[in-house]
Amino acid sequence: MSTDFFTAMEVSASGLSAQRTRMNVAASNLANAETTQAAGGGPYKRRDVVLATTDLDPNGDANVKGVKVSQIQQDASPPRLEYDPGHPQANAQGYVAYPNINPVEEMVDMITASRAYEAGITTMSSAVNMAEKALSIGK
Amino acid sequence: MSSDFSSVDKLANAMTFHRERHAVLAGNVANLDTPGYRPYDITQHEAAGGGLEMTTTEGVAHMTAGGGEPGAAYAKEFDDGGAQGGPDGNAVSMERELAKIDANRTRYATAAELVSRRMAMIKYAAGDGSGG
Repeated sequence: MSTDFFTAMEVSASGLSAQRTRMNVAASNLANAETTQAAGGGPYKRRDVVLATTDLDPNGDANVKGVKVSQIQQDASPPRLEYDPGHPQANAQGYVAYPNINPVEEMVDMITASRAYEAGITTMSSAVNMAEKALSIGK
Repeated sequence: MSSDFSSVDKLANAMTFHRERHAVLAGNVANLDTPGYRPYDITQHEAAGGGLEMTTTEGVAHMTAGGGEPGAAYAKEFDDGGAQGGPDGNAVSMERELAKIDANRTRYATAAELVSRRMAMIKYAAGDGSGG
C-alpha cells in the first residue's frame, strides 16, 4: 500500500464536495419551502442527498475511502395541505399543497454540512502542513 | 551495528506510515455522514517492534540498537471499534478523528524534524567537525 499526500487531499476534497452538495440541496429546499408549482406539476418535493463511500486510491488501497454523492433523491412524504380557497393552486376542496419541507430540519442539515466541511478543511490543511514539513527536511 | 543512516531510514519509514495513516483518517472525515460507514485506522505491524515512537526513538537515542530493517513501516488496518455507531450506522466521531489527525500530524512533523537534525549531524561529521 502506498498513498501520497495528493491521495489524502483528494479524499478530503471528495468530502468537501459532498458537503457542498448537501449545502446546495438544503439551500434549494429552503428556497423552495413555499413553491406550490414545481416543474412537472404539483408542489416542490424535498430533495435529499445520499452519500456513499468510494475508492479513490489509484493503488487500490481498500482502507482509503472517499465519499461521493450517489444520488439526490426526492422525499416521498406527502405535501403539507393548507386551506386557502382563493389560491390559484387550490384543489376542489380549497386546499393548497405546499412542499413537504420543514425549514428547521433544513437549517440543522446546513449546520451539519457546514461543520463537516470545516472538518474536511482542517484535515486538508493537516496534509498540506505535513507535506511542507517533509519539504523542509535538509533546509 | 547500525549505520548513521539506519536511523534516517527508520524515521523515513515512520513518516511513510504517518502519511498513509493520514489518508485513512482523511477518508473517515470525508465519510462523516455516510450511512453505515465504520471508521478505519491503521497501526504498525507487531513485527516492526510495536509502537512506532518506540522504534524510531530507540533508533535515534541508542545508535547501536539496530534491529528494525528498512521497510518495517508495515501497517495493518482495523475497523476502529472504539467509536459508537449512530442511528444511521455511521460510527465516525468527528472529534476523535480530528484529534487523531492532529496527533498524527505532530508525529510526522517530529519525525521530519529528527531527520533534519540527523542529517545535520551526519553533515557535520562528514565535514570533519568544521560545521559542514
